[in-house]
Amino acid sequence: MTDRLDLPQGTLDLLILKALSLGPMHGWAISERLHQVSRATLSVPQGSLYPALHRLERRGWIRAEWGASDNNRKAKYYELTRAGRKQLATEQEAWAKLTRAVGLVLDMT
Amino acid sequence: MTPSEILSDLRYRLRVLFGRGRTEQELDAELRFHLDRETDKLVAQGYPRADAERRARLAFGGMERIKDDARDARGVSLIETFLQDVRYAARGLRSRRAFSAGVILTLGLGIGANAAMFGVVDRMLFRAPPTLRDPGTVHRIYRARHDQTGDARVEGNFAFPTFLDVRRLTSSSFSDVAAFQTRHMVVGEGEDAVDVPVTVASAKYFDFFDARAVLGRFYTAAQDSVPEGAPVVVLGYGFWQARFGGRNVVGEHLRVDRMNATIIGVAPQSFVGMPDQGAPAAFVPITAYAFALRGAQYPTKHSWSWLEMVARRRPNVSEGRAQADLDAALVASWRGAQAEDAGWGSPEDVGVHGLLGPVQLGRGPEAGPENRVATWVSGVALIVLLIACANVANLMLARAVSRRREIAMRLALGVSRGRLVRQLLTESALLAVAGGVVGLFVAQWGGSVIRALFLPPDMSAAVLTDTRTLVFTAILTVSAALVTGALPAFGRRRLDVASVLKAGEREGGERRTTLRKGLLVFQAALSVLLLVGAGLFVKSLTNARAFRLGYDTDRVVMAGVQMRGLRLDSARSAALGARLLSAAQSTPGITHAALAASVPFWSNEGRGLWVSGIDSVDKLGHFILQIATPDYFATMGTRILRGRPFTDGDRVNAPHVVVVSEGMARALWPHAEALGQCIHVDSPSAPCATVVGVAEEVRMRKVVDPREFSYYLPAAQFEGDLAETLLARTRGDAEEHVAALRSRLQAELPAPAYVNVVPLTTLVDPNFRAWRFGATMFAAFGALALVLAAIGLYSLIAYDVAQRTRELSVRIALGAPGARVVRMVIGRGLLLVTGGLLAGGAIAAWLGPRVQSLMFEQDPRDPVIFGGVALVVLLIGVVATAGPAFRAARVDPAEVLRGE
Repeated sequence: MTDRLDLPQGTLDLLILKALSLGPMHGWAISERLHQVSRATLSVPQGSLYPALHRLERRGWIRAEWGASDNNRKAKYYELTRAGRKQLATEQEAWAKLTRAVGLVLDMT
Repeated sequence: MTPSEILSDLRYRLRVLFGRGRTEQELDAELRFHLDRETDKLVAQGYPRADAERRARLAFGGMERIKDDARDARGVSLIETFLQDVRYAARGLRSRRAFSAGVILTLGLGIGANAAMFGVVDRMLFRAPPTLRDPGTVHRIYRARHDQTGDARVEGNFAFPTFLDVRRLTSSSFSDVAAFQTRHMVVGEGEDAVDVPVTVASAKYFDFFDARAVLGRFYTAAQDSVPEGAPVVVLGYGFWQARFGGRNVVGEHLRVDRMNATIIGVAPQSFVGMPDQGAPAAFVPITAYAFALRGAQYPTKHSWSWLEMVARRRPNVSEGRAQADLDAALVASWRGAQAEDAGWGSPEDVGVHGLLGPVQLGRGPEAGPENRVATWVSGVALIVLLIACANVANLMLARAVSRRREIAMRLALGVSRGRLVRQLLTESALLAVAGGVVGLFVAQWGGSVIRALFLPPDMSAAVLTDTRTLVFTAILTVSAALVTGALPAFGRRRLDVASVLKAGEREGGERRTTLRKGLLVFQAALSVLLLVGAGLFVKSLTNARAFRLGYDTDRVVMAGVQMRGLRLDSARSAALGARLLSAAQSTPGITHAALAASVPFWSNEGRGLWVSGIDSVDKLGHFILQIATPDYFATMGTRILRGRPFTDGDRVNAPHVVVVSEGMARALWPHAEALGQCIHVDSPSAPCATVVGVAEEVRMRKVVDPREFSYYLPAAQFEGDLAETLLARTRGDAEEHVAALRSRLQAELPAPAYVNVVPLTTLVDPNFRAWRFGATMFAAFGALALVLAAIGLYSLIAYDVAQRTRELSVRIALGAPGARVVRMVIGRGLLLVTGGLLAGGAIAAWLGPRVQSLMFEQDPRDPVIFGGVALVVLLIGVVATAGPAFRAARVDPAEVLRGE
């Protein structure tokens, strides 16, 4: 597992918001999606997703609702709020700026 | 955060907080859903179900920690986890009732003892009189000087002209000066007459307080003008309620002492003035009272020192400057006194100067020994609390050891250590709060005894409604919670989870046992300290009780007549005296009676005394004069050691005779026989009185004063018109004859005179109060400490034995006789006790001399007491360890070892 990356501080929130921008999802699905989309390179302990979800909910960026899952069990679905969408845009932009800047510095030397 | 975020945050928190149970369930459901889905996925990938479950959990991470983090993320965790901890702790405590009750009771007693003592000491030493404005700028005024014998003296009572001088000469330093005095007076007439405390005060007195009359008004400076003020009276609230049922009495007449006064107002309930003697029944102007009592001369007479003074310092005046002003005023006033009577000496010779005391009498230079005793007793109460805390900490530690597995399990499940410590602190806080509540009730009900001992009667001493006591109790409770919770909690920080889970309950905790042993030695030392104190104070009280005052207090009553303005000439006064005397003698149950001028601890006569060959008799001591009728010695039970008492034969025309006390005989004629010597009383040219008898020494003013002597003159030869105080000897208990004698004497009195009859013990006992307080309180707290320490020792040894059951059973299995096991267990206990004994004994020996002045002729290092305490403590040690020791010896090794 040497090719797995630990998440930089604060990026988990961004990834969750991004995942939810596609539509409502429950916790396990978010975890699965992050795993697949990153081609299993991001190491997110599955459990640590939940404190982050609760934090985002408290800040009003996502909201949660219980609904039926595909195998007909009740699951807690999260979806982006309007504030969440705005936040995602801001954070995405900030992330792009940051990576660009870091990239520039690394290229220079 | 933006406003909308704050709103969302708030909504979220409220929802979570109020739907706490539901949120928890939701969290559980959510996480379970995740695990199930993950497991399903892995099963679909071909893992066996059990393996899939394990893998899912592994990928998920520590369940408890994630739950905790999620709760934290929700942001309500502080309150929520607190409530959770409280519930958890309460559940735990409920399931261990005996333990909880023991701890709560222990803490309750410790906290209660302190709350009660705080209530007393606070009122004696710290609390300003109720409604007094800005107490920091108010001073009591004292005068310091030395007397003829060279002893330093501090006086708080002044003559009226001194009050006028101080008021006039210090006006640049003090904005207000008031004089006051509370004394017992007869109020009302005939059948309704009662003897109650009445405050005589200048009009300014009321301005020191934030008090408004509830009815009518207080008197004004115009009504308190020199020389004869208006005969008006302001009623105290309690007296008004009790006597007049709270009806409007303004304008009615009320006889107060010898004044026929008009009621002009009623003081509010909160107003008692300077509460030295409890709440007064009434307030009257100084000038009206003094004029009625002494006539128009009182404003210039320095010989009548009876007023206390308070002064309010101006805001911009330093204490130093006020002091200088006061010194000058007191010196000037002393010169006035010297001009009136050269006997006062010059102010320079006697070193007159002023003292600005705090407004609390108990902190001033005239404070009685009971103030110091109360301070020491509060220290004792604190020690009791320390012992109680040590006990509780010990119990908690013991429980902590037996709960190691539970704790380790929870740590392994991912509960954070911080959370665990919080939980333990919550538990001890819960216990302490319960203890604090119990303590308040202990202080309220049990403490009334303590307050009755120390505080003047009817001084409000509620506990449950007193803010200061409540705050103090709260502080104690928090401290107790921290002390008892912190030790076990922090001991647990360094818990090695793996080793504990492997070892089980059996082993480990060595360090904590050391801590517990240390606590036990500490407790034992403190108990020893208190017990030694109790022993010393009880012995001191026994000494004081056994001390002969020179008369029998329990069989003598004193009748004091108040003339209330009635003036009798010498002949009528003598006739009244004779009538009273024969009335008393004919009262059933009275065996002897005598008229007397002086009464022990009540009033004393002092006259000039001249003896040929001695320059100044005054320098040799304080000589108290008793003038009495012949039966005096038989009435009091004072023994004549040599010569004879005076008799009916010592008439006015017979040769003058005197009886002197043994000490006086030795002081005046150290090398000669006193009998037959000659003294002159009142003036050097008075007729010579020949010493015909030597009486045993009596205590008239102070219980301990090696320079206080007495001498006796027959009333017939000296002042024949005694009628104001009568002493009577009763058959059996004095108390039973008070009422009969009073009504018999009252019948002889012309109106409006009033007679009050009290047993001599009521006059004498207050002088033993300090010793009695010390003995009672030390004994009570010492016993409490001993019980607590014994419980502590028992629980430690019992626990120790339980922990070592395995080791002991191995020993027994290997053939150790039961007796040896018993000896070993008891020996371990006694080793700790001995350590405590030595430490406590050393502290007691060091502190002892510091309290010597509070004890009555008692050696603070009395070996009998130290030895006795050692014996008692060792005995208790044996008793406390015996139970567990025999239990250990009866252990069945086979069963124990199989159980492992």
